[in-house]
Amino acid sequence: MADTIKLSVNGVEVEVPAGKNLIDAVAAVGIEIPHICYHPALGADGNCRMCLVEIEDGRPPLVPACKTRAAEGMKVRLDSEKIKKIQRDMMEFELINHPIDCPICDQAGECILQDYYMKYDAVPSRMRVPQVKKDKKVDFGAGVVHDQERCVLCARCVRFTRLITKTGELGIVNRTDEARVSIFPGRPLSNRYALNVVDLCPVGAMTSKDFRFQQRAWFLTRSKSVCHGCSKGCNIFIDHNREKYKDDVIYRYRPRHNAQVNGYFMCDEGRMTYKLENENRLLSPKAAGQQDDTEGAVNALKRRIQQAVKPLFVVSPNCSLEQMHAVQALAGSVKAVVNGYSDGCIKEGDGDDFLIQDDKSANRAAFALLGIDSGKDVFDAALNDADLVVSFAHDLSLNGVDCSKLAKDGLAFVGSYGNTCADAATYLIPVASYSEDSGSIINVDGILQHYEVAVVKNEPLPTMLEIIAGLGGSLKDVEAARSSLSSMDAFKGVDMQNIPAQGLALTVSEVDNVTA
Amino acid sequence: MGIDIKTVERKGGTPQERVYLVEVFKGMAVTFGHFIRNFLDNSKLYIRHYPEVEPEITPRWRGRHRLTRHEDGTVKCVACFMCQTNCPAKCIMIEAGERLDGRTEKLPVRFDIDLLECIYCGYCVEACPMDAIRMDTGIYSLTGTSRESFVIGLNELLHSESPFTDEEYKKGSK
Repeated sequence: MADTIKLSVNGVEVEVPAGKNLIDAVAAVGIEIPHICYHPALGADGNCRMCLVEIEDGRPPLVPACKTRAAEGMKVRLDSEKIKKIQRDMMEFELINHPIDCPICDQAGECILQDYYMKYDAVPSRMRVPQVKKDKKVDFGAGVVHDQERCVLCARCVRFTRLITKTGELGIVNRTDEARVSIFPGRPLSNRYALNVVDLCPVGAMTSKDFRFQQRAWFLTRSKSVCHGCSKGCNIFIDHNREKYKDDVIYRYRPRHNAQVNGYFMCDEGRMTYKLENENRLLSPKAAGQQDDTEGAVNALKRRIQQAVKPLFVVSPNCSLEQMHAVQALAGSVKAVVNGYSDGCIKEGDGDDFLIQDDKSANRAAFALLGIDSGKDVFDAALNDADLVVSFAHDLSLNGVDCSKLAKDGLAFVGSYGNTCADAATYLIPVASYSEDSGSIINVDGILQHYEVAVVKNEPLPTMLEIIAGLGGSLKDVEAARSSLSSMDAFKGVDMQNIPAQGLALTVSEVDNVTA
Repeated sequence: MGIDIKTVERKGGTPQERVYLVEVFKGMAVTFGHFIRNFLDNSKLYIRHYPEVEPEITPRWRGRHRLTRHEDGTVKCVACFMCQTNCPAKCIMIEAGERLDGRTEKLPVRFDIDLLECIYCGYCVEACPMDAIRMDTGIYSLTGTSRESFVIGLNELLHSESPFTDEEYKKGSK
């Protein structure tokens, strides 16, 4: 455990983690100090003055909590009349030129101004002069639309582009009530993390062009999950909603804080992968080229696998650990070759030193741990011999295979998304995607993370594990696969059933097994 | 505190009432009395001749919904979803879109009300910050041949007129 210090808040002694500023320190014990401009990832700026607190016997007596390090024996007061008046006055300042267009603001429901007004202000406006009019819709590029009237000039977005992406596209121009966040003329936002400013914005000044007006925040269900866009495995919230007479649809991904993996942010590309979950999904099963129901297709494929002399199972690096393990177990019982060759998923040079990785698959690290070969030579040799290829969610065209030619011998595809391979396959079994399934993945840094079922469709597709069990596999569900995994050497000492929420960094010896 | 208790004398205890048959004839006499009187002169009937004579609807009466418009004919609704949020029957289905006429930023591109689900509580009217939805059309009779025909859309809602003036609506009576 980290060191703790004792200080008093409103006369009550609390024990808080040491080495943090007052906001974070007392937030750890559930006490809120209101703040607008401070964000843990962007540091203290001290421009909003909302976090001013009183330090008894302190010099100076009033300090911004974001800039003050929590110290032993500090006597912090948040409930004095003076502090309450300061908070009220600060809110009044923020709201002077705020348009209060909450009914049409996308941030309504998750807006710091709304929350703080109800908690710390709650008095009617004294504003009697016309408000300053600014631009309501400025396209900042990269899918960000800015509303200057709603902006509270906390400069979180400006600091994000300066400190995190180091691109510095944004700045605050002019002074006083003419001040506004702006891009430089002809230089729009052009970094691959730009949409994070929408999450960072404490008010509705930054909106995402993609999500704009799609849903009200309070209709959305927020489910925790892990992004499958690349091998980083950023933690996300899947925001989805089932509208009346419609199906459960995902409307956006938002980054979820995990200090071990992605911090507070995620890339724009990963954010937009939610569209894959809604569009181009495989829905109707096929058996021997004919449309069939799932049971018929599974039985037909099962017979076909039994007839095959040398079946080849290709497993996608996007499959979960449990799915890969189940495929392995099935291959063992039907004497099939398992291969995970998928270099087509790697975009050389696409990654950066922040979050984006070259490898666009979520779980490649698991291949080495499970002992699944992913070499090209082995794949090519097995493909030449094979009289049946079963692809578990991997698009074989990425491996340079002519799928329509392969289909003449026998090609089966078990997966969620439509692609050339699925189109060509004679046996096609659609399964639930990761947002509709649970599982575990290991990211590029060797961190094992679980994800749970987020979206439940009106007509849920079977999970891949159910299909594998139907094909004769012995592992019926996630639990069975996990307990089987626990008995493997590679996962010695890993409690697969209870992976901590922030993920588990596999020990050095396990990571050593992973080929880079 | 306690409400006043009124003791009502129990009837039906006299020998004549206990015979029962006498009371039956007395009752029938009342029935036939009404029948003959109404048969000879039906102008005093306590009956509304619906549908020949329609009831008088007051401006406060909650009928079928409509969406109001600005003077220039554009939709007042800004698609804030307050009515949909507030609706206890969950019968309002809105889809929002970008508004380009400069009035605001948002407008409904779909506004459906499932009238079979609607319980006519008027909460949508209460919730609306724009006075964009009202239930003052005076339409109380809805007929259709399929369930789908009871889901009315933006077009129908926007082009229904109220039989009342704005003053009458605000006053709540004629």
